[in-house]
Amino acid sequence: MSSDTTNSKGNNVGLIALVVGIVGIVIALFGFKQGWDNGDVRPIMSWLIGIGFWLSIAIGMLFLTQIWYVFHARWPTIIRRQCEHGMAAFPYLLVLFLPLLAIPFLHENPGLLWKWMDGHNALPGHGTVGEDPLYQWKSPFLNIPFFAIRAVGIFGVFILVSGLLRRWSFNTDTTGDVNNLHNARRLSSLGLFLTSIAMTLGAIDWFKSLEYHWFSTMYGVWFFAASMRAAISALLILCVILAAKGYLKGILKQAHRYDLGCLMLTFTIFWTYISFSQYFLIYSANIPEETFWYNIREMNFDGTRNSWWWVSMGLIFGHFLTPFLCLLWYKTKVVVWRTVLVACWILAFHVLDLYWNIVPGKMVTPDHGPGYLVRQFSISPYDIAALIGIGGICIFAMCRSMKKAEPIPVRDPNILTSLNYTE
Amino acid sequence: MATTTQDSSMDATQAALLAKVQPAELQEQPLVTNNRDFNWVTDKICRIVETKTPTWWWICMAVALMTASFTGLGLLWLVSSGVGVWGLANPINWGWAIVNFVFWIGIGHAGTLISAVLCLLKQGWRTSINRAAEAMTIFAVVCAGIFPLFHVGRVWFAWWLFPIPNSNGIWPQFRSPLEWDVFAVSTYGTVSVLFWYMGMIPDLSVLRDRAVQRLKKNAYEGAGALAKGMDIFRKNFYAIFAMGWRNAGNHWRNYEMAYLILAGISTPLVLSVHTIVSFDFALAVLPGWHTTIFPPYFVAGAIFSGFGMVLTLMLPLRALYGMHDLITQRHIDNMCKICLGTGSIVGYAYIMEFFIAWYGANPYESFAFINRAFGQYWWAYVMMFSCNVFTPQLFWFKKVRQNWALVWVMSIFINVGMWFERFVITVTSLANDFLPSSWGYYSPTMVDILTFFGTFGLFSVLFLLFLRFLPLMPIAEVKFVMPAADPHGHHGDEKGDHH
Repeated sequence: MSSDTTNSKGNNVGLIALVVGIVGIVIALFGFKQGWDNGDVRPIMSWLIGIGFWLSIAIGMLFLTQIWYVFHARWPTIIRRQCEHGMAAFPYLLVLFLPLLAIPFLHENPGLLWKWMDGHNALPGHGTVGEDPLYQWKSPFLNIPFFAIRAVGIFGVFILVSGLLRRWSFNTDTTGDVNNLHNARRLSSLGLFLTSIAMTLGAIDWFKSLEYHWFSTMYGVWFFAASMRAAISALLILCVILAAKGYLKGILKQAHRYDLGCLMLTFTIFWTYISFSQYFLIYSANIPEETFWYNIREMNFDGTRNSWWWVSMGLIFGHFLTPFLCLLWYKTKVVVWRTVLVACWILAFHVLDLYWNIVPGKMVTPDHGPGYLVRQFSISPYDIAALIGIGGICIFAMCRSMKKAEPIPVRDPNILTSLNYTE
Repeated sequence: MATTTQDSSMDATQAALLAKVQPAELQEQPLVTNNRDFNWVTDKICRIVETKTPTWWWICMAVALMTASFTGLGLLWLVSSGVGVWGLANPINWGWAIVNFVFWIGIGHAGTLISAVLCLLKQGWRTSINRAAEAMTIFAVVCAGIFPLFHVGRVWFAWWLFPIPNSNGIWPQFRSPLEWDVFAVSTYGTVSVLFWYMGMIPDLSVLRDRAVQRLKKNAYEGAGALAKGMDIFRKNFYAIFAMGWRNAGNHWRNYEMAYLILAGISTPLVLSVHTIVSFDFALAVLPGWHTTIFPPYFVAGAIFSGFGMVLTLMLPLRALYGMHDLITQRHIDNMCKICLGTGSIVGYAYIMEFFIAWYGANPYESFAFINRAFGQYWWAYVMMFSCNVFTPQLFWFKKVRQNWALVWVMSIFINVGMWFERFVITVTSLANDFLPSSWGYYSPTMVDILTFFGTFGLFSVLFLLFLRFLPLMPIAEVKFVMPAADPHGHHGDEKGDHH
């Protein structure tokens, strides 16, 4: 950091974030333990929602950084540094992911969260996972050892790529060595491939396989779109806070905010395009193997409308239409409070999108008879605790990273273009 | 401290931070090399149109016309005999016609991507190639349109595709993506023509003014009456289409605004057109077609094939017109990298389709993909995969990107591979559908082959006419990205001619 004052501010924020994070995590882990002991999956899903939310932001920041490197983008140079700090959360997220990974190894029902992990788990209608021909077919991919190896590999890619990008960028601050930039550009070209594959596998394993019968080739792209939206919104809020209270005061220009706003609009449209295409093609084909995933997000087994219908409508109007219409206006992208409001709105609905993807599920009826029950929409205090707790740790990781490098990449070859950037 | 703009809200901390700013030196190749001046750019681009028609142009035109005649003959044969002259037969009722349609439409996409999307992304390198790519878009749409138009059988009833009230009370099927294609492609064609034409207006005025200047000087001694006659023609022709452009400040202001709006309209069009083209397949409940990734995968594939074609066209043009300073290695590098990126996205989709076909545990879906790779059309799948996924991986290497002949050959591979992609999608799923007793093998007839072959001639005829009569590059935009136009850069000896 550039001065003691800013340093101490950063320290304070980091410390507060750490304390809040620990408190949140303790509460969420208490819920996790309750779920673990009682065989109740809902508090465990809270943890997955929390991980999913913060991981998607970090993944989005990793993608943004790499895309900017690959396209030789100059304007976001000062913003890229904030992404680099945000990416410091990956190793912490790996540690925070471990409780989820412990379930298949340590719990008496390995399939507590991902039901395919236990062959004894009953399926709606009749039979068990182990007797299910669909599971038997998928078991070469959906098995616990391979799942764990993939999880380690996925985090390994994120940590390795983000770590190298951070190191080279920070190194440029002191050495001014332009080779760091060349290395970062080369790695980003390859890294985009690696992170795309890792992210796709993560989305399939952690979210899609919750209902392992369901399949969609688009799912990885959905998670990419969602992650980019979340990351851009979080980045904008972060930059505005740093411009108001921290080291970006007078450095972050309206033009930077405007371009981030344009990116928010772009990825709002892209997320909608992907989500709609997936829905539309499945709706149109009307094949029961695929449509059930959307059906349970709309109605119960008896055809009555369930709580997810309202969430689905909320996503259409709240996650697409409202930010889309707002961001079409120039002023929304330049008036600070409006941009921040839209960014917060997008993040809130991103959480809802994760709920929508994670929580609904088919449950067996009490008599294990025909039909199924749908796990309904609910907001648990543990959801909030996990979101705040994991977020606190991620913010702590970011503040810790901020102490390791200059607030902006002062010796980056493109720093002047970014500092003097105008619309 | 290096030059930075300081905000009044900054305090000492930020000022101290800015004092540390000391950017490292980064050598980057300019977008116009050899320190060319503004006059050179104007002259270079205009002289393509103004000088005597080169012999190679006449030879190419003759060959192109002859090739195009195959399409004419093929269509004549089709109209007089019926669609049966094509190789379509149950169960493969979509054959080369839809393959060729998607192939040509895809090629068009790079033009819009370069002119609209790269404009919105402020990518300066687009300026040297955008005009030719836009022209390519329009000519590709013309070629594409032929196939569905004649596939309707009785082409004189093709206007029924439009929802026009008629005495028979016959309406198109609005729920069919083929009908959506009619709207998508015609909108796309219209906007592309508008965008292309509007971007040319300032350059047409330059050609007009240069003809007027020459006529005023009357410097035609030795050049003959033909040269003067041509300039009179140019003066009038370009004057009409330049619509009174005088380079006034308000002209440029309106132009920039209109350009931006058209770029904004064109960008969703790029996505929508190929998305709807992908719906032609994805909305059918057929293994291999019904898959959710089709929309973005088709868009990426279209951009991939379009950039392949831009490279195929621009590399020879660059050599023929000596435009190495305008279409530099940096441009070629960028285009190769876009091919690498989009080719890899296409590869991601191929693998994802294959994986989910297995993961979905649907035996019909699994069969469709195994049959694609190892069935009767394995050779087409190998062509598709190797040309589209493996070939562009060579673009990782700088030495490959710097070998223009190799890049050109690889761009041909991309074109071939993308044609095969559409063939694989269309034919393999239809040939081996749900009912093994009706399985078939599709072979094109000579009419199919010659009609498609002829479209390359038609495309070339149109492109050659474009080269001869219209400015190949947007003159002002090229100047804007020159080092001489940089207010912070070294101006050298350039003269400030902004024509």
